[in-house]
Amino acid sequence: MIAETPSGLGTSAPRREDVRLLTGRGRFVDDVHLPNMLHAAFLRSPLASARIARLDVSAAQRLDGVRAVYTAADLEGLVKPIHFDAGIEGHKVPPYTALTGDKARYVGDPIAVVVADDRALAEDALAAIEVEWEELPAVLTVEQATAQNAPLVFDELGDNVIYHALHEYGDLDGAFARADRVISVPVRQARVTSSAMETRGIVVDFDPVDGEITCYASSKAPHMLRGRIAEHLGHDLHRVRVIIRDVGGAFGGKGAVWREDLVIAAASKLLGRPVKWIEDRSENLTAFGGARDQGFQVEAAVLEDGTILALRVSMWMNHGAYPGMWLTPMFAALVRATILSQLRIDTFSFETLIVATNKNTYISYRGPGSVETLVRERVLDTIAAELGLDPVEVRRRNLLTVEEQPWQMPMGVTVHRAHARETLESAVELADYAALREEQARARAEGRLVGIGVATSIQPCPGFPDWWEAIGYKTEAAPARLRLEPDGRVTLVTSEMPTGQGHETTLAQVAADQLGVPFEHVRVVLGDTNTTPFYYFGTGASRSSNMGAGAVIAAAHELKRRLVELAWPQRSLEEIARSVYGRGDARELEAVDVLAYYEPHATEGGWAASTHLCVVEVDPRFGTVAIRRYLVAEDCGTMINPAIVEGQILGGIAQGIGVTLLEQAGYDEEGQYLAGSYLTYVLPKADDMPEIEIHHLELPTDEAFSARGIGESGMVMAPAALANAIEDALRPLGVRVTELPLTPTRLLELMGVLPEDSLTVL
Amino acid sequence: MSERRHVRVGVNGVPRDGLVEPRRTLADFLRHDVGLTGTHVACEHGVCGACTVLVDGEPVRSCLMLAVQSDGAEVTTIEGVAPEGGLHPLQQAFRDCHAFQCGFCTPGFVISGIAFLNEHPSPTHEEARHAASSNLCRCSGYAGIVEALELAAARMKDGA
Repeated sequence: MIAETPSGLGTSAPRREDVRLLTGRGRFVDDVHLPNMLHAAFLRSPLASARIARLDVSAAQRLDGVRAVYTAADLEGLVKPIHFDAGIEGHKVPPYTALTGDKARYVGDPIAVVVADDRALAEDALAAIEVEWEELPAVLTVEQATAQNAPLVFDELGDNVIYHALHEYGDLDGAFARADRVISVPVRQARVTSSAMETRGIVVDFDPVDGEITCYASSKAPHMLRGRIAEHLGHDLHRVRVIIRDVGGAFGGKGAVWREDLVIAAASKLLGRPVKWIEDRSENLTAFGGARDQGFQVEAAVLEDGTILALRVSMWMNHGAYPGMWLTPMFAALVRATILSQLRIDTFSFETLIVATNKNTYISYRGPGSVETLVRERVLDTIAAELGLDPVEVRRRNLLTVEEQPWQMPMGVTVHRAHARETLESAVELADYAALREEQARARAEGRLVGIGVATSIQPCPGFPDWWEAIGYKTEAAPARLRLEPDGRVTLVTSEMPTGQGHETTLAQVAADQLGVPFEHVRVVLGDTNTTPFYYFGTGASRSSNMGAGAVIAAAHELKRRLVELAWPQRSLEEIARSVYGRGDARELEAVDVLAYYEPHATEGGWAASTHLCVVEVDPRFGTVAIRRYLVAEDCGTMINPAIVEGQILGGIAQGIGVTLLEQAGYDEEGQYLAGSYLTYVLPKADDMPEIEIHHLELPTDEAFSARGIGESGMVMAPAALANAIEDALRPLGVRVTELPLTPTRLLELMGVLPEDSLTVL
Repeated sequence: MSERRHVRVGVNGVPRDGLVEPRRTLADFLRHDVGLTGTHVACEHGVCGACTVLVDGEPVRSCLMLAVQSDGAEVTTIEGVAPEGGLHPLQQAFRDCHAFQCGFCTPGFVISGIAFLNEHPSPTHEEARHAASSNLCRCSGYAGIVEALELAAARMKDGA
């Protein structure tokens, strides 16, 4: 723990964002109300796969208050086809239009938009649009989509395989020949969705006089949204501005441009008036997108003592229909580049199969490659179970020590100063693991289904450049701007776009600490592409506490250097500001206005580590899981604001509990979406949450600033720890846990209380 | 579209007149006609509780109540739970306990929590946890919300 400083780095400074959000004075996108504004609603396909035989909007157009109805044909030439092709070898990327004109490919596919005086009128008009559908057979699963003569999602692709690749590292045949045992582990994680409490939404205000487009949005990447809107509308980039104040949660999905954004922008251009679209919850659950929906078959070559010699991993992903901006091969690459974690494995193969289906778009969701931890930790526990070893012991045998690092993983990723082992030992000690096992033995003797689960992982936060190279993305530098104002106070302009992470507080804490000025003297400006430096990525991937803060530190160091030349601290900042600004000479302004950047090029640090350890009890009557104990031991380096760090961990664990026990974005056999409301897409509530104990290791690195990301950790870890604990609880029944979610129904099936496949959810 | 009807609703102590369609929800009336955007709509089917307001002191999902049903009632929204420039003890406790992140669900939790504390001035931990289960939050993991309910109860009792 670093010492408390007057500016409060390392303290849980109350957040600056809080009072406006607590008093109803936040400004989310639906709170934006512009003069002359119109409201949009989308007509969406009710069928998973169907040709549009006839589409007649004339009756809808004639309704009072309706200003326009647009279909794909109306937007041709105005919105360019969407084609997110990154040139990944062997990757098929079908182009498509913002509104679908030929064939709907999932339930929720947008085919028309109504723009009216208010939202209710727009929705009334949707009912007046006449559509004649020619229903086609749909494919929902990878098995269906890859079967012979399977119906095609995109006819022009020839089949439904979007991407297929095999990466091999080392002498696999040799390693498998040397193995005492080969252990097979299947794992499947169902489709889920991020479901931020604020849905998507955008207000686009095109000014026909000066040609400027102003967008108010719910996005975590304003510059990216700006660029993509300009590109797809063929509009001058410098005449597009994105303004964002508060964002009601994102969790991955709000870092892209969406078809609806482009349609609304086009509508505003055509009408010369501001147009607002706020997604409703049913649309959000049905049509925003799904994540995970991945299946694995792993073969582990092991020695009798639990040492892993090699892994053969085969993975499929259910891509859904339309490719989103973040491409599915990149999500698969995340898994490939991270699945070995801190294990001493040098021989490895990874097969990727990505298949198009009639489901919604594949989206990024907090820890988009997090299934790597679920799969690896399931493999480790299966090895332990099959060899009769303790699961903690199997991890000890295979985890690299700090002394063995830097270590280069077979896919070229460097592991250095990663502390997974230390978090494991800490968790084992804090939980008194041996005593837990004794308690479990007593509970089992009473016939109770009590299990203990452990998961250990490292997360690239932000990850070395070689990790980003391994997933095919070149890291960019993060910018920050610091300016001494005429009154001697400091303005920090950041290109981070928080969606609940509290950057207005944490980055001010960092700037105040680095400059040695009071926290209250640092104002933070963000969320406007007119003022923030260009930064395509925005906030995400657990990067802000390292990269966002790193940029602030770089700017602070440079500003300090220039201020020292102006005789600081002999002269106060107020005095320096008076002398610089007082003369009104623009030649001096540069001395107090700094644009700097931070590039994570370090070869050490960069990995956050954690172990989650939990105890569960399964109720054999109802198939419910009670989490009796939940302990986290983690190392995210220096904590800028411990309350915010813990909030990220707790919130992540809640989402992890959701995907493990409750949530499934499922479809029926016809491709109808089964979870279109919160009655059927079940989010965790307060009484689903256990008490969570968190222990911070805060291990140092040699970096100047060793804050590492924590945003995704809870979500990555919890499913693995819980799945392991549940299998451990069911061990007396001989049950193998091979899939998530483990809903009460599924657990009753596994325990033989209900027949298998009592519900078909695809 | 059916004929608009006149409603008079007391909102945070101020009478507000409106001419609304019978189908207009109380949430839309408050947000778009009265212009108080602190009440948030997150699910539109009464599950998440983000839109909770007090109607004659009782917590109500304003997405499920029509504006015409609130004619003559006194409604309290998040903007009205504390005097201008101040915080209700529960708002303060939310801040002290880091009970929220993005803040979108927060107004609904605060209103629901105030109604709960009115009925249960000394809640047990289990009661607070159960009360917090009335609404959905996607960010916080709920621990801070439960803690804030307990802290506010303790402070309100001390202050009483």
